[in-house]
Amino acid sequence: MNNFLQAIDTLTIKFALTAVLLPLLAFVFNFLLPGRKSKLAGWVSTVAILFSVVLSVSVFAKVWNTGHVVHQQVIWFTIGNTVVYAGVLLNNLSVLMLLLVSVIALPVHIYSTAYMKHDGNINRYFAYLSLFCFSMLALVVVDNLVLFYALWELVGFSSYLLIGFWFTRDKAVQANKKAFIMNRIGDIGLLTAIIIIFIQFRTFDIDSLFGSGNLMSYSGVHDGIWSLWHNLPINVRLIWPRERLVQLPSMLQYIAFGGIFLAVAAKSAQFPLHTWLPDAMEGPTSVSALIHAATMVAAGVFLLARVYPLFNDAELTILAVVGCFTAFMAASIALTQTDLKRILAYSTISQLGYMVMAMGIGAYTSSLFHLVTHAFFKCLLFLVAGIVIHQMQHIKEDNQLDIDPQNINNMGGLRKKLPFTFVVAVIGALALIGLPLTSGYLSKDGILIKSFEWTGGRSGILKVVPVIALLTTWLTAFYVTRLIVKVFFGELRLLHIKPGIKLNLSDGNWQYKLPLALLVLGCFFPLFSTNFLVYEQAWIFKGLPNAGGLERDNVYHTLVPAGVNILSILVMYGAYTIYIKRRNNPFPQKGVLFNLSFNAWYFDAVYNKVIVEPVLLLCRFAFWFDRRVVDGLVKRIAKTGIALSKLADWTDRHIVDGFLHLLVAIVKGIGNFARMFHGGKVQYYLFSMLVVILVLFILKIVI
Amino acid sequence: MISLTDFLMVSAALFCIGLYMIVSKHNAIQILIGIELMLNAANLNLVAFGKYDSLNNGGQMFALFAIVLAAATTAVALAIILNVYKKYKTIDPDRIDKLRD
Repeated sequence: MNNFLQAIDTLTIKFALTAVLLPLLAFVFNFLLPGRKSKLAGWVSTVAILFSVVLSVSVFAKVWNTGHVVHQQVIWFTIGNTVVYAGVLLNNLSVLMLLLVSVIALPVHIYSTAYMKHDGNINRYFAYLSLFCFSMLALVVVDNLVLFYALWELVGFSSYLLIGFWFTRDKAVQANKKAFIMNRIGDIGLLTAIIIIFIQFRTFDIDSLFGSGNLMSYSGVHDGIWSLWHNLPINVRLIWPRERLVQLPSMLQYIAFGGIFLAVAAKSAQFPLHTWLPDAMEGPTSVSALIHAATMVAAGVFLLARVYPLFNDAELTILAVVGCFTAFMAASIALTQTDLKRILAYSTISQLGYMVMAMGIGAYTSSLFHLVTHAFFKCLLFLVAGIVIHQMQHIKEDNQLDIDPQNINNMGGLRKKLPFTFVVAVIGALALIGLPLTSGYLSKDGILIKSFEWTGGRSGILKVVPVIALLTTWLTAFYVTRLIVKVFFGELRLLHIKPGIKLNLSDGNWQYKLPLALLVLGCFFPLFSTNFLVYEQAWIFKGLPNAGGLERDNVYHTLVPAGVNILSILVMYGAYTIYIKRRNNPFPQKGVLFNLSFNAWYFDAVYNKVIVEPVLLLCRFAFWFDRRVVDGLVKRIAKTGIALSKLADWTDRHIVDGFLHLLVAIVKGIGNFARMFHGGKVQYYLFSMLVVILVLFILKIVI
Repeated sequence: MISLTDFLMVSAALFCIGLYMIVSKHNAIQILIGIELMLNAANLNLVAFGKYDSLNNGGQMFALFAIVLAAATTAVALAIILNVYKKYKTIDPDRIDKLRD
């Protein structure tokens, strides 16, 4: 029986590994594909991800909610006594993410084959996209923190590549640089946290740390010392390789939390590291949909879910407050933006804030539930934005207009031109607002209700958190309605400016429609729950831990959904009546609050002033130092060397060679002198003999 | 009375004239004449000193012998000069310098 189970586990692992490695294969294939533009690239990647989806579904069916954790590992390397394993860990959380990532990636791949059709570097695009899919899928199934870190980096790197896909645009280059640097800050945090966790527990294994072994829950902070309990249960002692207990200062535990928080903030765009995400919209829209709305940004929340037992109550409160603040801030910024994709980006930051807040208030499962539902409708909205921007680009090119195709002030009336896109966009928007019958309603209400329960018994200032969360919901309703009305209702605003332009718009072919149709299924409640009003019945809650239980034991469960939705509908109606009048700016475009929102709370400006400029100044100084002092020294040495060699050259030429030349000249002179005497003149010989004899005689006489 | 010294004086003058001719003349035949003059200066000395060998007259004999030899060598020299002239169309010894260098 045991052997049989083992065999099934091995098969499951193989399925999961294949699902992960297929996109890697596609990446290698597309990378080696000759040329730049080939239809094959898109289909290879799409087929790879299609098989990944099929395998993920099978793995999901085998593991989800069976209470059985599939975990196999092999020895990766050994340093001293420390053995590091590499392996695959499939628990409920992993298989949920595995399924989500591959299912979201599939429509995006199909959409990309049409959306990127006219791009000159389509091979590179699909290679990068497959690389991203591989790293994200691998990230969710690996079983140790070292591999996790490596893939975490790879996810950031592939995102960097895709943001800067159109690397000839200066803005795209700036944006991917910014995203990469912000993510590096988070990576440093994650690395620090991993090192501290290893120092304390002597293992990288996620399952023993936070999963079934759950070493983390046997450690605690007492009197400024962070240590494990003395009386560990026997099953924990078996898997724990360390012989004696080591007591670390509690500061290290807080630093570990800080590191994890930085990593989450960078990847999931939380305050204070959120500013890269709106800029990341410089990448292709299909990439924004997959990476910067649905999957990669969720990696931070996934990390929180993985290491959840690490946090104590105070740390969770910090998460809740930061998440809540981020949600509110981003929603308030989204109110005034005019760039279609930036509105959606701020909306993503806001929703991620909800997820982090949910983690902080202990709504673990609601957070992940929101992650899943959000992935569907935000991906859908981004793909819709892609179609709209594509069509605006067409209008721009057909009529040689000088407009920004992403500015919603130029749009309007597209519901008649793009009927299918309009319908799915409205459904996605309703899910984002969280109205009943949609999936967003179920997940968002879980978080809101939990946040009210959480405030019970907490100090006064924390009671603000659920109120701000509620306020954010209404802000969301407002900006989403504004977006939809401005883009799809009324008349096309460009016609007011240029009455004569030609319009040639359509929803696009099946490669555009099929992904939207697939994603729109995920925006309705039946996929997640049989009961459209009560979130607790969603199947996701049956497979993941629920702190605090699911009993509807207080008034919040009725009051909050009702209040939220009635007010949301009122807000939506208000926004509709304001924006359906075709005035561009129904509100005054000035004032402190407007400027604060329009300039994204001045975060970029402040960061530029406080961080970027000093850093650049330091760089310039270092550059100057390098140029003048270091290079100067080298140059001085070089000059000395040249002078020395010139001296040596002179010596060689004039003294050594000169001596030889002198010898030669002497010998030559003697030779010439002697030659004179036999010049062929016979009489001269005689004459010289005579002279010699005379001289001899004279000498004889004189001496 | 002609003394030995006078002979020697004439002989020295002859010798010097001959030597000068040899060194300075541009004509091979004139040089040959110079050689003859020097030989005759020597002969004159031989004859002059032959006074002290009146028994054997060795000086006179040797002078005769030298005259004969001189005639022979002059003949040979003239022949050489003729041949040189044939080959070089000149008898100026300064121009006949094919052997130099």
